[in-house]
Amino acid sequence: MQLAAYIGRRLLFIAPQLLGIVLVSFLLIKTIPGDPAVLMLGPTATPEAIASLRAKMGLDKPILTQFVIYVKALAHGDLGTSWQTTRPVLEDLLQRFPATVELVTFGLLIAILIGVPLGLAAAVNPTGWVARVADIYGLSAGAVPDFWLALVLIYVFYTLLGALPPPLGRIDLALVPPVQVTGIYTIDALIARDWEAFGSSAAHLVLPVATLGLINAGPILKMTHATVEKMLQSDFSRYEVLCGMPPRTVIRNALRNALPSIITIMGVLYGFLIGGAVLVEIVFSWGGAGQYAVQGVLNSDLYPVLGFVLFSAIFSLVVYLAVDLIYFAIDPRIGH
Amino acid sequence: MQVVAEHAARPDATEPLLAVRNLRVEFPTALGDSRVVLRGISFSLLPGEIVGLVGESGAGKTTLARSLLGLPPVPGRITAGEVLFRGTDLRALPERDLRRMRGKDLSMVVPNPRGELNPLLTVGEQIAVVAQVHLGISRKKAREKALDMLKAVQIPDPRRRFDAYAHQLSGGMAQRVVIAMALVCSPSLVISDDATSGLDVTVQSQILDLIRALAEKQRSAMLFITRDVGITAHFCDRVAVIYAGQIMEVAPRHAFFFEPSHPYTIMLLAAFSHSPELRHRWTVPDVKRRTVEGAAGCSYADRCPLAQERCRTVEPPLAQLGPGHFSKCHFPVVR
Repeated sequence: MQLAAYIGRRLLFIAPQLLGIVLVSFLLIKTIPGDPAVLMLGPTATPEAIASLRAKMGLDKPILTQFVIYVKALAHGDLGTSWQTTRPVLEDLLQRFPATVELVTFGLLIAILIGVPLGLAAAVNPTGWVARVADIYGLSAGAVPDFWLALVLIYVFYTLLGALPPPLGRIDLALVPPVQVTGIYTIDALIARDWEAFGSSAAHLVLPVATLGLINAGPILKMTHATVEKMLQSDFSRYEVLCGMPPRTVIRNALRNALPSIITIMGVLYGFLIGGAVLVEIVFSWGGAGQYAVQGVLNSDLYPVLGFVLFSAIFSLVVYLAVDLIYFAIDPRIGH
Repeated sequence: MQVVAEHAARPDATEPLLAVRNLRVEFPTALGDSRVVLRGISFSLLPGEIVGLVGESGAGKTTLARSLLGLPPVPGRITAGEVLFRGTDLRALPERDLRRMRGKDLSMVVPNPRGELNPLLTVGEQIAVVAQVHLGISRKKAREKALDMLKAVQIPDPRRRFDAYAHQLSGGMAQRVVIAMALVCSPSLVISDDATSGLDVTVQSQILDLIRALAEKQRSAMLFITRDVGITAHFCDRVAVIYAGQIMEVAPRHAFFFEPSHPYTIMLLAAFSHSPELRHRWTVPDVKRRTVEGAAGCSYADRCPLAQERCRTVEPPLAQLGPGHFSKCHFPVVR
């Protein structure tokens, strides 16, 4: 009951939080120089044509009025139209956002699968070779740019070995994407029992997911290493050793105590990667939401950018809520 | 004393349960050399005996307690000596075997238990795990045993406290939990490291009575470490005084309180005395502890009101003064 009330309260706060986020990004985007009317009509347009298009788009009105108009439309589920794709932003995003979520989710999973065990092993035996490997890995994962790693992986696995498909989108160009349910091709293909589409989309996922996983395992590894090591040196771990607990139990309990920090970094990474994976999206022509937003910024296409901000804000808020709920589940000291 | 008498009737009474010989613990320093925290500690405990160990903070009490279990505080290292438990040298045992004895045969009651308990597990669970691991009993049995222990340490409403977390307990209750954990496997030796520091005086005496009663009931021997010399008067069979990592005096309780011989012991007793005259005579302005490691002579010489030239040059031996009464002093006070 208490928990439900808490979740309700958090969800209630999401609306004003979003409004604030949208207002700030609206004002920020408006300060970027560049007139969409000029860009739309091209270099040969007459001033009259530009003026009339500006009036049509509402660009001649004061900024706050424009904002109110946008928010009113938003309330009806209208996120505006992109002048580049000439389609409603909502439609575009519903297609592209799942692509990014798919990429980022699998990437993060790989990062966790690499980072947590390696960090744990390094913390348990700080002088062993695993710790040394982990140290070097943590350093290089922070130093190597993701798009560069992506290019290297493409060179090795596509150009040299030919083992994986070319970096051109999410599925083989000759195949029809599965019917959209979640927008995540691998899952949709499973639902449709379309094994060919599943195989192709999974194969297309391998390299971008590996890129994101390898790069983002760095911070997870470092956090796991540092917190588990701290927990193993803490009084309660020492006391467990004094009580003759087997090393396995001591390590498991230390990891449990370190989990809140590790999950926090995972949550932060998850929210960050929605926009932060954009370079990887570009390298693999992923057609994701990040790429869409960057195109919008470059071409003064306001509504896709705002739509993206809105989507990723909701995504982050949901992720943070989930992280907080996990804290509740792990730590009895919180919220009672 | 009654407990000792009981054991005296048994044929193995002369075999000490624990015998520490020449234990030396060093802490490496950043400069590459090391600081000696315990030097040549020797003492023994008979089965069922309660021995008090008194000393000021920094004397090496906790280091000694943990070193007996083979776990000196980080980064300390045991560099010499033997810890014989039932005749086996614990230092020679592989870690695996030693681990099986910790918490089962030799257990420890720690101070400040709320920081020592795992914050994410219920206290009942933590007691049960100790029983489950060491006694090889089922989880259900272990939980029953843990609940029995919580009852034995007289925690109010034990069924509810079983599912409580460390942060939900008061200091006194957490102390009881740690005692329950230390005694759940009926160990033959309990080391109590300053178990009652930080508790109210009233709670303190309850806890002390409890430890003694339970230890006696289980016939556990006990090494009772404390800063409060008054506490040892209540229930220790023998009392030892530790100063700067060395044992200065050991004596049966009666001799310790009525015929103290080492000037440091007398100073400790005077500090707890109600006689202003005695306190005044034996209170020495705190001279900085000697900084020169391994300086010749008695380590207490710089603070000793009776020190003479010889004390600064020749280290006194731990000499016998009476039955079971030893004092490490050239000029023991004899009445």
